Amino acid sequence: MAVHAEAHHGPPVAHRSSRVDAPILGIFLFIASEVMLFGAFFTAYFFVRVAAGTPWPTPPFHLPVFVAGVNTVILVTSSFTMHWALQSIKRDNHAGLQAGLLLTFLMGLTFLLTQIREYSRIGFAPKDGAFATIFYCLTGLHGAHVAVGLMLLAAATIRAFRGHYSSAAHHGVEIPGIYWHFVDVMWIVVYSTVYIL
Amino acid sequence: MRRGSVVQLVLFALVAGGAASTLALVPGWLPTPAGREAGRIDFVFWFVTVICIAIFAVVAAVIVYSMWKFRAAPDDDSDGPPIHGHTGLEITWTAIPTALVVAIAVVSAIVLAKNSNAGRNPIRIDVTAQQFAWSFSYPGHQNLTSGDLRLPVGRKVELRLKSLDVIHSFWVPEFGQKQDAVPGLTTKLVITPDRVGTYPVICTELCGLGHAVMRTSAIVMKPAAFDAWVNKQGKALAGPAGQAGKSVFVNNGCNSCHTLKAAGATAKIGPDLDKLAQQAKGAGKPLEAFVRESIVDPNAYVAPGYPKNVMPSTFSQLPKSQLDALVQYLVSSSKASR
Amino acid sequence: MTTVAPEHVHEHVAAPPPTGWRRLLAPGWLRVPWMTALFFGIGAGITVLVRWAEGWHPIWKGTIITTVELTTVPIGFLAGIGAFDYWVRYASGAPTRPEDHSGHGARSWRDYFRVNTDHKVIGIQYLVTTIFFFLAAGLLAMFVRAELAKPGMQFFDNQTYNGLFSVHASLMIFLFVIPAFAGLANFVVPLMLGAPDMAFPRLNALSYWLLPIAGFMMLGSFLIPGGAFATGWTSYAPLAVHQPLGQVFFNMGVQWAGASSIMTALNFLVTIITMRAPGMTFWRMPLLVWANFTTSLLVVIATPFIAGSQFFVMFDRIMHTHFFDPGHGGYPLAYQHIFWFYSHPAVYIMMLPGFGIASEVISVMSRKPIFGYRLMALSLLAILVLGFSVWAHHMFVSGMASWLRVPMMATTLLIAVPTGIKVFSWLATMWEGRINFSTPMLFALGFVSMFVIGGLSGIYLGAVPIDIHTSDTYFVVAHIHYVLFGGSLFTIFAGIYYWFPKMTGRMYDERLGKLHFWLTFVGFNLTFFPMHLIGVQGMPRRVADYAPRFADWNLFISIASFGLGASTVVFLYNMVRSWRFGPPAPGNPWRALTLEWQVTSPPPIFNFDEIPQVVGSPYEYGVPGARHAVLNGDRAEVGELEQVRRT
Ligand code: HEA
Ligand code: HEA
Ligand code: HEC
Ligand code: CUA
Ligand SMILES: [Cu+2]
Repeated sequence: MAVHAEAHHGPPVAHRSSRVDAPILGIFLFIASEVMLFGAFFTAYFFVRVAAGTPWPTPPFHLPVFVAGVNTVILVTSSFTMHWALQSIKRDNHAGLQAGLLLTFLMGLTFLLTQIREYSRIGFAPKDGAFATIFYCLTGLHGAHVAVGLMLLAAATIRAFRGHYSSAAHHGVEIPGIYWHFVDVMWIVVYSTVYIL
Repeated sequence: MRRGSVVQLVLFALVAGGAASTLALVPGWLPTPAGREAGRIDFVFWFVTVICIAIFAVVAAVIVYSMWKFRAAPDDDSDGPPIHGHTGLEITWTAIPTALVVAIAVVSAIVLAKNSNAGRNPIRIDVTAQQFAWSFSYPGHQNLTSGDLRLPVGRKVELRLKSLDVIHSFWVPEFGQKQDAVPGLTTKLVITPDRVGTYPVICTELCGLGHAVMRTSAIVMKPAAFDAWVNKQGKALAGPAGQAGKSVFVNNGCNSCHTLKAAGATAKIGPDLDKLAQQAKGAGKPLEAFVRESIVDPNAYVAPGYPKNVMPSTFSQLPKSQLDALVQYLVSSSKASR
Repeated sequence: MTTVAPEHVHEHVAAPPPTGWRRLLAPGWLRVPWMTALFFGIGAGITVLVRWAEGWHPIWKGTIITTVELTTVPIGFLAGIGAFDYWVRYASGAPTRPEDHSGHGARSWRDYFRVNTDHKVIGIQYLVTTIFFFLAAGLLAMFVRAELAKPGMQFFDNQTYNGLFSVHASLMIFLFVIPAFAGLANFVVPLMLGAPDMAFPRLNALSYWLLPIAGFMMLGSFLIPGGAFATGWTSYAPLAVHQPLGQVFFNMGVQWAGASSIMTALNFLVTIITMRAPGMTFWRMPLLVWANFTTSLLVVIATPFIAGSQFFVMFDRIMHTHFFDPGHGGYPLAYQHIFWFYSHPAVYIMMLPGFGIASEVISVMSRKPIFGYRLMALSLLAILVLGFSVWAHHMFVSGMASWLRVPMMATTLLIAVPTGIKVFSWLATMWEGRINFSTPMLFALGFVSMFVIGGLSGIYLGAVPIDIHTSDTYFVVAHIHYVLFGGSLFTIFAGIYYWFPKMTGRMYDERLGKLHFWLTFVGFNLTFFPMHLIGVQGMPRRVADYAPRFADWNLFISIASFGLGASTVVFLYNMVRSWRFGPPAPGNPWRALTLEWQVTSPPPIFNFDEIPQVVGSPYEYGVPGARHAVLNGDRAEVGELEQVRRT
């Protein structure tokens, strides 16, 4: 079990005291703290809308519920392609991995660009009252997470096209994947609370 | 545990408790209450103090006793007895503190409920806080406003606090009660003054550079004196310019920052307004224009040695008649004092 | 000044060091200046571009650029020093170099000034950095006391004074107490677990390098036009929204420090869960590990809330959003709820690791098993859970929904119960022990006694009617210092003295250590006890000027505080001198059972030649034949020893 340090000039291999993989546990804890960051923003939302009683949406503004709905569908679909990519590499199917990652990336990009375009057409700016503030900050926070997710996906995609990963070693796909699913679920929460409720 | 060591331990605890009690009794801790609420708060304070002294005495006794009895000799390499725990003890020191804190919580909750009860017919006073001044208005008394808080003794008062800019906090140590004034909210505080006297009103929430000087006084008066004050104020505002100016000066709290002999004001946060003439010369402006500008736009000229941004700029919104009266008053009183 | 035992230094086959102009490209201090400048340019460029595209004027606006630069410049610094090299190479798809361990261990003082992935080196980096900021913050406190020595204004104007105590408190909290505990744990926890390092060594290094950024950002705010941030360490909105530019140095400084502490906490959690030595069940972990486990949970869950609150203030400042502006639908009290939802748990983040240190020291120095081990661990978890349900005790007079006051009072007061369990268990651990009153033990006992006073003043504050009277007075300032100085700082000192031999391989001077303790203990009480009194009598906190009737006590406090400041010099002298010239320390000077003491002082570069086998509780003092772990031993011994435990 323990390899002698002098032999390979390195540390002894640590004992594995949990069935969970360290990187997987790490990303889940990271997501826990991300959820709390969203929690802080939702708390602000709660105070503005419930405690201060700000009308939602504050007239004369409207929210593009339909476009955002289409966007939701795109993002949810991308979660499935992500899942497909991961399942493919688990079976050493590199083509599936590459296609899955690429599709996920493109859909995520579409989502982000649509969101930015909506910002410019929506007719109000963050400074136009607390409603606008919360709208921009919650969707913006989410958008920032999509951007980070896209960067992770980009790295995974590049490596996938260089032939990395295998059924034995695919943390580099699995971890961006977990993060991507989180970004997706978070969007559903944002969409339903900010746009629909 | 031997009998002897128990006795010794109890002795230690008594000594520690005695020392702590002395510390609790000798210096005057709480200000002498000037309100019923403060009296009740004092009760909670002493109730908690008794409990805390007991706990501290136990802890201190065990520590000092251990330092005395269980010190290992320099060459002693032996270990202590391998005691891993004791369920009975552990239950005891979970249960007793639980009981004690529950008692504290119950007493506190009762006192809190009493102290927040405004009763059926309180005097209502609207408190406005702003950087860095207090003002009080009396909707039940001809909408009088005042820069210091005047209260009749023995009547329940409900303060409604508002803030014009950032968060401030209203506190009179002798009343025991404290409440933040929050922009956008109206908060409430109940006070039942029961001792005639003058007490400081202190802003206790950091509100910017003038936080330390955001003070005025609370004056508890006999009911008759209070009524007389109300009547005089009401008449003064309607009266001749000199009188009106003086009431505007006092009602807006100028006296909580400035010295002005004619108004009996002695505060030293802002410049001495008996010396306005010199200041006007220093600023190179005619006296009246200077005074008006100093009130409407305090930062236009900042008296040397005094901080910028401390004097509120909201006095520019005083009704024109009052502003004129105020300026007239200051100009004439500074001419008189020369 | 090395942490590597000489016999373990072996040559590594690392890439040859670059020469000539290529040195500018290699990670390190030569790359820092130009990378920082580059990112400064990027930050300014993006801002100008956006403002130009949106048609906002003026296009070059100092306050906005500064705020953006506080994000981009640190990234440039980190990239320059080499915190991201591995990840960038990975992300670009380049083959990653197999680990050559050249970033591990310290062979000269220079190795402390680069990105090092050895948890022991990082632990020392943390401690030295945090002590530096402790001195800076202490110096600011000396200025505070100088100003307060007399009523009226002496040395500083109001705004500067507010800046002094704001930076004092922020540095003490975010750059001293929290990271100092993280530093001690960084050094000790992997050793205690029988692990060769932390789970994510590169992340660990990054966490460290965020700290100096945050610290110098806060200190640097004194140089900004308008002065340092002056809204206290709580930085309440809406005041903070309308303050001079220095305020964003707090907002961003907290973000960097917070990011650092989240990453470290995540690292601790993963390490503790996945890298314990065989046989080390949760119920065999030393209480220090338990303490860091609960603390890390608190950090991971709570810290994002302070990040959020500071974002909101910054957005209100630079994007003119309206989180806290009631005139436009905002809600000022939201700030306090969000801030305290972090900052109350934060006070336990600043205390639980200290509980862990006290448990180690008291058990070892009393030569007795820790009393009620399981309850000690469970009470930590109880504090963790309760700690999330009490935040509004900082808001009893804030004007929040008044029905919240009584439930929050109840939970607040209940925290006394698990805390009391810990206090009484420490006392019972000492009972009938063979106590060695060495410096760490003195500090641990100083902690127990002073923390009880601080905790009890917390009970006063937790009782709503008393808090209504004492909130925002010097009574609170006294509470703060009894729990943070008497609690956290005393345990940090205890920990530093206790592990000093392990970290440096040398013994500190025991006489100077004791002198330091007694000077600190007396000076501390003379300084902070009278604050209870003047607070209750009517002196508000955060004021540069006060009523003349408090003059005598304030002068007394100021004089005592200078004495307290001077006691630090004894500590520094002892540390510096002993690190260089102290007598060599044996592997296990305290005859302790936990794993870190079973290796050489300082520990070998990879901690253990072979992962040890844990066979029993870490506190079996006085149990004949009991052992905590077997190192490099034959496996037969292990089975035998498993039998002996808990006789
Ligand atoms: C290390 C940090 C630390 C710790 C551990 C604590 C612990 C506690 N604190 Fe404190 N607190 C601060 C740091 C800390 N605090 C700071 C920095 C502030 C000011 C923030 C600001 O700037 O505004 C503050 C402010 C603060 C307030 C708000 C005051 C105000 O602004 O109005 C309150 C109110 O409830 C409070 C309560 C408590 C309580 C009940 C505990 C409890 O956890 C204490 C429990 C411990 C004991 C009680 C002692 C041991 C127990 C026994 C021996 C058992 C028997 C005891 C009984 C039966 C009572 N604290
Ligand atoms: C761990 C936390 C911690 C520590 C250790 C301290 C330590 C000290 N604190 Fe502080 N303090 C806080 C946390 C802490 N404080 C907090 C959270 C607040 C609330 C702030 C707010 O309201 O927002 C506060 C507020 C506060 C106030 C109230 C300010 C006000 O409300 O107006 C005061 C006033 O006396 C004070 C004093 C001191 C003193 C004298 C020390 C002394 O113990 C310091 C001793 C000094 C040293 C140890 C350093 C000595 C250095 C030298 C001698 C120079 C050597 C230098 C070099 C070699 C470079 N502190
Ligand atoms: C919170 C404290 C505060 C209050 C309340 C306040 N002032 Fe002032 N005042 C100051 C300070 C500080 C200055 C000096 C700095 C400046 O000129 O802005 C000042 C300056 C002045 C000056 C200029 C004097 C000179 O010598 O330069 C006048 C006139 C004046 N105040 C009148 C008033 C009047 C009238 C009121 C009430 C309606 C008032 N002040 C209320 C603090 C205050
Ligand atoms: Cu108003 Cu402090
Ligand atoms: Cu708290």
